[in-house]
Amino acid sequence: MSPLAIDQILDGRRSQPDQLIEVLHDVQEKDGYIPEEAMQAVSQGLGVPIMEVYRVASFYKAFRLKPAGKNVLTICMGTACHVRGARLLLDQATGQLGIELGDVTPDGLFSIERVNCLGTCALGPIVTENETYHHHVTPGKLRKLIDTIGGQQPEETQHAQTQ
Amino acid sequence: MQQYVNVNIDGAIIRAIRGTSVLDTAIEYGICIPHLCHVPGLTDIGACRLCIVEHVVNGRSKVTTSCTLNVEEGMVILTSTDKIRKLRHNLAELLVAQAPNSRAIQDIAVRCGVTSVRYPFRNADCVLCGRCVRTCTEIWKARAIGFVGRGKDRHVDYPFGIQPEFCKQCNNCIQICPMTITPCNGPMKPGEEYLCGQCESQLIVADETPGSCVWCELGEGFACGRYA
Amino acid sequence: MPRLNSHRELEHLREQIREQRENITTTIMLCGGPGCQASQSQTVVEAFREELSQQGLDSSVRLRVTGCQGFCEQGPVMVIEPGNIFYCKVSPEDAFEIVHQTVIKGELIERLLYEDPVSGERVKTESEVPFYRAQNQQILSQNRLVDPLSIEDYIAAGGYSALVRALNGVSPESIIGEIKASGLRGRGGGGFPTGRKWAECSEAPGDEKYVICNADEGDPGAYMDRAVLEGNPHLVLEGMMIGARAVGAQKGYIYVRNEYPLAVKHSRIAVDQARELGLLGDNILGSSFSFDVAIARGGGAFVCGESTALMASIEGKVGEPRAKDVHTVVDGLFHKPTVLNNVETWANVPSIISNGSSSFASIGTESSKGTKILALTGRIKNTGLVEVPMGTSIREVVFDIGGGGINGNSIKAVQTGGPSGGCLPVEKFDLPLDFDVLSEAGSMIGSGGMVVMDEASCMVDVAKYFLTFLQDESCGNCLPCRVGIDRMLEMITDITEGRGTPGQLDLLAELGETISETALCGLGKTAPNPVLSTLRYFRSEYEAHINENKCPAGVCKALITYSIDPDRCNGCGVCLKGCVYQAITGEKKQPHVIDVQLCQKCGICRSECKFDAIQVV
Ligand SMILES: Cc1cc2nc3c(=O)[nH]c(=O)nc-3n(C[C@H](O)[C@H](O)[C@H](O)COP(=O)(O)O)c2cc1C
Ligand code: SF4
Ligand code: SF4
Ligand code: FES
Ligand code: FES
Repeated sequence: MSPLAIDQILDGRRSQPDQLIEVLHDVQEKDGYIPEEAMQAVSQGLGVPIMEVYRVASFYKAFRLKPAGKNVLTICMGTACHVRGARLLLDQATGQLGIELGDVTPDGLFSIERVNCLGTCALGPIVTENETYHHHVTPGKLRKLIDTIGGQQPEETQHAQTQ
Repeated sequence: MQQYVNVNIDGAIIRAIRGTSVLDTAIEYGICIPHLCHVPGLTDIGACRLCIVEHVVNGRSKVTTSCTLNVEEGMVILTSTDKIRKLRHNLAELLVAQAPNSRAIQDIAVRCGVTSVRYPFRNADCVLCGRCVRTCTEIWKARAIGFVGRGKDRHVDYPFGIQPEFCKQCNNCIQICPMTITPCNGPMKPGEEYLCGQCESQLIVADETPGSCVWCELGEGFACGRYA
Repeated sequence: MPRLNSHRELEHLREQIREQRENITTTIMLCGGPGCQASQSQTVVEAFREELSQQGLDSSVRLRVTGCQGFCEQGPVMVIEPGNIFYCKVSPEDAFEIVHQTVIKGELIERLLYEDPVSGERVKTESEVPFYRAQNQQILSQNRLVDPLSIEDYIAAGGYSALVRALNGVSPESIIGEIKASGLRGRGGGGFPTGRKWAECSEAPGDEKYVICNADEGDPGAYMDRAVLEGNPHLVLEGMMIGARAVGAQKGYIYVRNEYPLAVKHSRIAVDQARELGLLGDNILGSSFSFDVAIARGGGAFVCGESTALMASIEGKVGEPRAKDVHTVVDGLFHKPTVLNNVETWANVPSIISNGSSSFASIGTESSKGTKILALTGRIKNTGLVEVPMGTSIREVVFDIGGGGINGNSIKAVQTGGPSGGCLPVEKFDLPLDFDVLSEAGSMIGSGGMVVMDEASCMVDVAKYFLTFLQDESCGNCLPCRVGIDRMLEMITDITEGRGTPGQLDLLAELGETISETALCGLGKTAPNPVLSTLRYFRSEYEAHINENKCPAGVCKALITYSIDPDRCNGCGVCLKGCVYQAITGEKKQPHVIDVQLCQKCGICRSECKFDAIQVV
């Protein structure tokens, strides 16, 4: 993140320690995550010790301390989605992409995250892919979604070709 | 000017300085309330919960930690009821099962009557009492270490995990840590942890007059208020 | 719009807006709530806009995109007035037909009407839909009346007249008196009497005071606060203004979950609009009352719903609760006296002030007044938001409104109150919704989440789910919560993986009580509830895991095996493709087999098989 961008975010909020969380949200909105330099700059700008900035950034799950993949698959693990099988979706995503929850695929294309509820519980299980909501998701739907985004042809056709 | 209030702790009417905690008052008066995260002079965070007492208000008693509770006129406190002893025992059991490799923790467990542990031992090297963090922050104003992460990921760390150049290298964090005092028989091997119980003999006196401070050696190593 | 300097100017504005709208003959209220948006309601909106303007109906037909109307399961849903016509599962392609048939000709479109699953008949109007019929929507019904982005809508519907009353008609003391008399209790979980909270804050020394709206809604599986704040932000704001007036606060905060981007956006816009009209700011409506509101975003931490952690978070700090020996009404945000109330609590305030406490108190039970919004979810037919009078029985909610289990499964329990609440078995379904009755039964109303479980839900697994959640969400400060929950989880994991011992059940109960008694904040104090309540009502399920190494619901992976019934399998190969662990083999059109060594028991294959050939034992 450029010093200029940080300056813009801090504008009007300097030396206001209570703005820390709001500022970190804005940094993340811009960069997708919160790099170390940004935390240093925020610490200076707001007059909050760096220890405290790091503590806050590591305490709140909304903040990412490392870059995410290009496509963030967020699986809702809220109660309502859980009883409708959200666990299967997590297994599907981690199994298919070969990464763990919270990690990024080596090609940087995907990362898998979880959330505790997106507030659309009635339509669970819910998966979001970047900002798009997918409802009543099944492992099959998720597999096709991942295939499509990954630029692969859905497996059906692949199957047909190899056979 | 100091103002005083009268509080009733275990039946004794004590003249206490307004603004002090029930725990400090009790220790000062010679009533032993086991504690771990409390360090005289530092802010109390109520982390270890060992110092729980019953606070009786209008005939109803509430369990609360005495380190975070300030004395007030007419307050009634019970530090060693059956209920409190049982709860404190269960807490100390959780604690020592977590970190048996510390003399201070073993001592506290004995003091709270833990003679066996119902959970598998773990060998944690930090009990998250925050003594180090508050020493660094409040006494040295360095803020070189702090609690990072939350829930089960909570741990003590430097910013970004690297010792910063502003760390004063005073080593106070180490001195005040209960985990640095090894058990009398030396460190236990992983997988072979046990309850040592060697100090039981010392506590016979305490058993005879429950709840009173006997100037035991237990607190010495990790700065019980009495030794501060 | 110009600033309003007196209540007369507000009334004048209201008249103006109403006059402007006199020639509107038809209103289409299309739900743009979170659920319906996920069902692509946005494209439906665009289709309607286009069709209406093509037909030149822009000025006589009002297309109002509202907040959540409740029946998310059937989304996108819409109501057309006049006629109260209810259409569900509307697609963009339907827009043309609806405009031509229903709006222009007044004819119903049979296939878009809701089909009553019991009688099999199509239902014409919204009020006849069984899901709505049993409800009493005091707050949610207002969602239909406004576009959340339009302060004009809110004013036209009579909004901000309670504020006018609070500024001119009644004194701060009588506002508090009115709230006390109404019997309103906090909707955020604790059920603390709101009037008493306000009175204590008002009496607390100090000139600088705060009011806060708790829109953190961390309870997974609950979304009523989202629906209200997002669907009718001015209602919440008006409630906060009245509260601020009553206790003497100059500044308010709405602490809203960042996972709810629409709620953040709508409340920000609402605050800006109110400020522009002078409903927030200095000398509101020409009175001596000055008040402003800021939005603070949460950071994805359940513990930040707790009052002291929430305040720490607004102060920009780590959300660790502190001991509450001095209450937040005296020592709260920035160490000033503070009133913290839940979204739904605030939303109840304006109507109490406008209509009087007695109309509010006439609904509900002896100790719990008014209505409560519930988020009915889980393994049930009609999921969605439901608003019922306090005192309604769980049975009515689950069966009359919710329509019973899905796929004919029989319902076993309902989880209320989220991670702090408990599970109630079907035998307890006659209990009324009442703060005190439910907490006596080992659960609580909590924020209003109601997750229904059926025979396919394992109660031990449910308890484990909540422990895992709480272990992640505990701030980690205090020993009983951090280590105690971890130890409970360790034992429950043993039980679900076949290593459990009978002694662990008693230890679980004893440890649970220790945690409840000794934890620092409400999170830890209530954390053992899901375990304690399932132990109380479903002990036999625990025992089956321990004594027979069986998971009766077929959920706990270590105790089950997957296999394919060769008689049912027709070799379609769907499971083979579905299994991410390559554990299934078989030739096309031949029965497939599962390699138990490779099988991770995820159950993906079972959910995909169309022939029900995959068995769990
Ligand atoms: C762990 C925990 C989480 C909570 N989460 C919420 C929440 O998400 N929303 C809420 O309104 N109250 C929540 N509460 C309750 C609040 O602390 C507080 O009691 C409430 O907001 C007060 O408002 P009320 O009196 O209007 O209910 C939570 C409490 C605890 C202990
Ligand atoms: S390092 Fe030592 S002093 Fe610091 S929190 Fe851990 S146990 Fe306590
Ligand atoms: S009970 Fe849990 S969440 Fe509350 S202060 Fe203690 S550790 Fe933190
Ligand atoms: S539980 Fe998944 S959206 Fe609420
Ligand atoms: S000394 Fe009071 S909680 Fe640790």
